[in-house]
Amino acid sequence: MYRSNGFISFLLRRVTGIALVLYLFTHMWVIGSALQGSQVFDARLAAVQTPFFKFAEVALLAALFYHAFDGLRLLLVNWFKITDYRRSLFYAAFGLAAIMTLAGAVPILVFLVQG
Amino acid sequence: MRLFQLQRVSAIALLVFLTIHMMVLHYPPFHIDFARILERMADPMWKAIDIAFLFFVLVHALSGTYAVLTDFDCVSRARKVLAGGATVIGVAAFFYGAATILAFQPPV
Repeated sequence: MYRSNGFISFLLRRVTGIALVLYLFTHMWVIGSALQGSQVFDARLAAVQTPFFKFAEVALLAALFYHAFDGLRLLLVNWFKITDYRRSLFYAAFGLAAIMTLAGAVPILVFLVQG
Repeated sequence: MRLFQLQRVSAIALLVFLTIHMMVLHYPPFHIDFARILERMADPMWKAIDIAFLFFVLVHALSGTYAVLTDFDCVSRARKVLAGGATVIGVAAFFYGAATILAFQPPV
């Protein structure tokens, strides 16, 4: 059971979901500094523009795309009653998430290098 | 509305809002500061879009967290307290986020 696609999908969706919730509140805290004025906002935003955070952004993208595509897969399976395609749709969701992460990561890392 | 329906409706809304958010704010990457954000936020439509996005993302995040936590037996016994806590956090975060969005005002 613990090696089945269903379990892996369930586990990954929950782990990425919790990671995204933690990110959401951190993101709100960073952007919320706008309430204290433009200088505080720019200073706090600059603190999260370091190379470490750029790599973290790539990890965030991976979590986001996996969570979104796997969620979409669940919606499709439930709406269209296509449980026979559950496994192939899981691989498709995983593959699409990987491609989209790569497509998003390259510009982030190029921007990091070029400034 | 049941929890899983709330999750699904907010998920569909997020597919739209998140795509807009990523395309407009993060792709391709560029230097972001207060002045840059202000250019976009000068249009009230963007403020409305961002507040709607905030609403759906909080509904999805908190209902999802509730679903994950209530899978644990020890937490499941206190599901009413958890639901109350999630609601309070959600309302507070919504007002904080909406105030942040509205704080992007051009200097008078």
